[in-house]
Amino acid sequence: MRAAKLLLTIACFSALLFSCNRSGSSTNKLLIYTPHGQDMLRDFVAQYKTQHPQVTVEFLDMGSREILERVRAERNRPQADLWWGAAHTTFQTAAEENLLAPYRPTWNANVPESSRDANDNWYGTYQTPEVIVYNSDAVKAEEAPKDWDDVLDPKWRDKVLIRNPNPSDSMRAIFGAMIWRFYKDAGTPDKGYEWLRRLDANVHEYTADGTLLMQKLVRREGLITLWNLPDVWIYKEQKGFPIAYNFPASGTPVITDGIAIVRGAQHEAEAKRFYEFVTTSEALVLAAKKYYRVPVRTDIDRSQLPAWMNEKVNAMPLDWNVLRKQSGEWLRYWDTEIRDHNKQ
Amino acid sequence: MCGTSLTFHHDLRMFWGYAPLVGVAQMSKHPATVGQSRHRTSDGKAAPVSQRRPPVALSPRLILLLIVGVVLLYGVIYPNLHVVLQSLQRDGNWSLQNYREILAQRIVLKAIISSVAISVLTVMFCAGIGIPLAFLFERFTFPARRLFATLAALPLVLPPLVGTVAFIFLCGESGILARVAQSIFHLERAPWSLRGWPALLLFHAYTMYPFFYVLTGAGLSRIDAALAEAGRSLGARRARVLTRIVLPQLTPSLVAAALLTFMTSMASFSAPLLFGGGVRMLTLEIYTARQRGDLTLALTETVILAVISLSALVFFQRYEGTRRFAAAAMKGAAKTRRTIATGSARVVAMAFGVLFSLLLVLPVLTLVVVSFAREGSWTTQTLPPSYTLANYARIFSDSAAREVFLNSLSMSALAAVAALLWSFCVAALIVRKRRRTWHRLLSWLILVPWALPGTVVAVSLAEAYGKPSSLAGSFILVGTFWILPVVYFLRFMPLVVRSVQASMEQVDEALDQAGRSLGARWWQRFFRITLPLVWPGAVAGTLLAFVIALGEYVASVLVFVPSNRPISIAIASELRDFNLGAAAAYGVVLMAIIAVSMMVAGRLERLRS
Repeated sequence: MRAAKLLLTIACFSALLFSCNRSGSSTNKLLIYTPHGQDMLRDFVAQYKTQHPQVTVEFLDMGSREILERVRAERNRPQADLWWGAAHTTFQTAAEENLLAPYRPTWNANVPESSRDANDNWYGTYQTPEVIVYNSDAVKAEEAPKDWDDVLDPKWRDKVLIRNPNPSDSMRAIFGAMIWRFYKDAGTPDKGYEWLRRLDANVHEYTADGTLLMQKLVRREGLITLWNLPDVWIYKEQKGFPIAYNFPASGTPVITDGIAIVRGAQHEAEAKRFYEFVTTSEALVLAAKKYYRVPVRTDIDRSQLPAWMNEKVNAMPLDWNVLRKQSGEWLRYWDTEIRDHNKQ
Repeated sequence: MCGTSLTFHHDLRMFWGYAPLVGVAQMSKHPATVGQSRHRTSDGKAAPVSQRRPPVALSPRLILLLIVGVVLLYGVIYPNLHVVLQSLQRDGNWSLQNYREILAQRIVLKAIISSVAISVLTVMFCAGIGIPLAFLFERFTFPARRLFATLAALPLVLPPLVGTVAFIFLCGESGILARVAQSIFHLERAPWSLRGWPALLLFHAYTMYPFFYVLTGAGLSRIDAALAEAGRSLGARRARVLTRIVLPQLTPSLVAAALLTFMTSMASFSAPLLFGGGVRMLTLEIYTARQRGDLTLALTETVILAVISLSALVFFQRYEGTRRFAAAAMKGAAKTRRTIATGSARVVAMAFGVLFSLLLVLPVLTLVVVSFAREGSWTTQTLPPSYTLANYARIFSDSAAREVFLNSLSMSALAAVAALLWSFCVAALIVRKRRRTWHRLLSWLILVPWALPGTVVAVSLAEAYGKPSSLAGSFILVGTFWILPVVYFLRFMPLVVRSVQASMEQVDEALDQAGRSLGARWWQRFFRITLPLVWPGAVAGTLLAFVIALGEYVASVLVFVPSNRPISIAIASELRDFNLGAAAAYGVVLMAIIAVSMMVAGRLERLRS
């Protein structure tokens, strides 16, 4: 009998725990899906709440590919109102699957053609240039690779770390760009594959995620990697990692990070308000200073931005639509025919 | 931590060493799902199986049947049928084209072969470690034996996500062990790299051998020593006694352990992702296909994975069905076990046991070290050069972090308690009805969620209950708090069911009949006779489900909502924001919580009337 009572107590206790957990419902709600990280989100949500105290803003932090999968799974009953953060290629895929609702922000004229959707389904907020990164304790600046092809130099054999490109927008962009360099003239990816094959010969390991990539870089499992500039600055400045970078001389892919309203959003008006709120020039400058996000808008007072954001970026001209459509097949080929073939 | 860990591991041992005695180990002996059931004992006598048990009063039985049927229909059959049907479709038409195409791909075949090969090897390695270790701790006595015996079950509490990270920092090529070896032997480069088959097998062996260790230990403490003694007195040598008497009696435990290990290894995802190197496993292929957006391929590969896992279930159970005498043979026999308390064998055994247990603690300690290390400072040194409390300050000053723990605790508790209640419903229906086909089908259906990857359980549930449909009506689960408890319940209830069901099998039916003849109603008999007897096994299974649910990630990430954000999401989020230390700190706190739950469970177990 005691056992039964105990069981009952546990059941009641869990029910109690659960009931404390329910948040009160509110008519002014907003749900954001975002990969931008908790710190940045909390900061912006707190500021938003000072202006709009009646609104309950909630967010779910996930990787951008996970967001795409979720939005897909929820298409019949959308949960999210706003999707803040993903590479434009991901947004373009979502737009083609009819998952996004068009919205034209007030600042639409101040965004370059290439950083927005022609049908207003998404707009660019931040820019993410890719760079060549090296361990600055172990590699002298003058010896570090200056361009993509330098990474293939035999002296870096077994010294290059690459993040697994499948789940990473940055790595997909880099791999895509490397193939595109040859594809645009030849019309076939063969020479690009050859490039990746030569890279594979130098690769020490394909790491599962960006965090491990950076850890392994400073722990000298490898000395060189390819990664995006904002993350490099976070590690350099916030965490004091001994790393440095070079812009590839021949140009680098620049990913546009975007924002979009989810089709069928239950709180669309609120979503639009938050959309505007996080893309004012003040908000963009704050994101630049505190969270290392390079703004897309062209009408920002660039003197307010950190110095490194004003460095000249030689953007590689790419046909992103071709890249997006082909990259699945390219990656599949890389995955089955190229990856780790130097190890066998 | 030291003080807690002592009691905690003691309780852990209580949980594992004791509970399976009537609990998990017994699951193997329950042939309700066996291809054919046999009721012969080793000595040819018929086991006491009641043939003419009068039916339980109709109404409660009918209600149970209804509950079980509805939960299975809505939780298992309907969502998963969805998956299977989708894999059988091509452009809106029925066809086997997907399977034909996939099985024609060299890469997929390779993945299937390496998945199965890794899993078989994992089972062998785990058996090789777990069984001798169980013998060691069961047969020898030495100081602090209990402590070390408890430590040996430690890998069970290593949280997912950060567990693998701890492993990398310990055994990786820039990990502590490699750096130590480098400085001792003055090596220029790391002496090894943690990649490929050896790395996978090492990690699998580390995380999964407790299945063997724990189940064998429980089996050993239960086997009939008198039989072995009889063998010895008839002149059999030690080895012969071991192979002909002891091991056969252990068969049910070993088969159960092998099955659990095999299925867990088939579904292993983070290990191949993080240090699989070029090894392709099916789970990884599914993940990659999803990432590429090839959903049909992913679905079809999932069905293949599930089919392999479930075939293993059928195979193992067929085999265990041939060895069903342990329980009958030991009836009434004294559970004596000879322990070796003196001699040189004891010293060797003790040294080995202590050394091995310490090795097992290392990954957990590594996680603690990482959680205290100052970010960015630990580069080429063996151990972090500077320490900080910042990571703990970060998570403890954060109200959202508290909420995360509360969420995970309450949802896992809900799921575990629900699973416990549900297990009693199931067990009441199928225990001792092993001959009927539909009982076998029932047991098999219950195990389906265990054989499927977590992502699939979540996606199938999200798709099945994301829109109004003919079966679900306007009932929508997606986007509510309840979706996660439901997912946890479905994924982990098989553990509880198996454990409870096995314990119920063990209860001597004569007791129940005695109660009946004394005029007790079914509920009186349940609360006064059955429940007290199956309580330890039930608590053990429930606790296991609870602990695993606390760290669940792959399914959670696809369906969580703001009001139920679990710990694992917080850990993943810290990892994504490059706060490795904070992620490790979450992991350490999670381990502490698991320790406390173990202690509470230990209390609960002793509370049985």
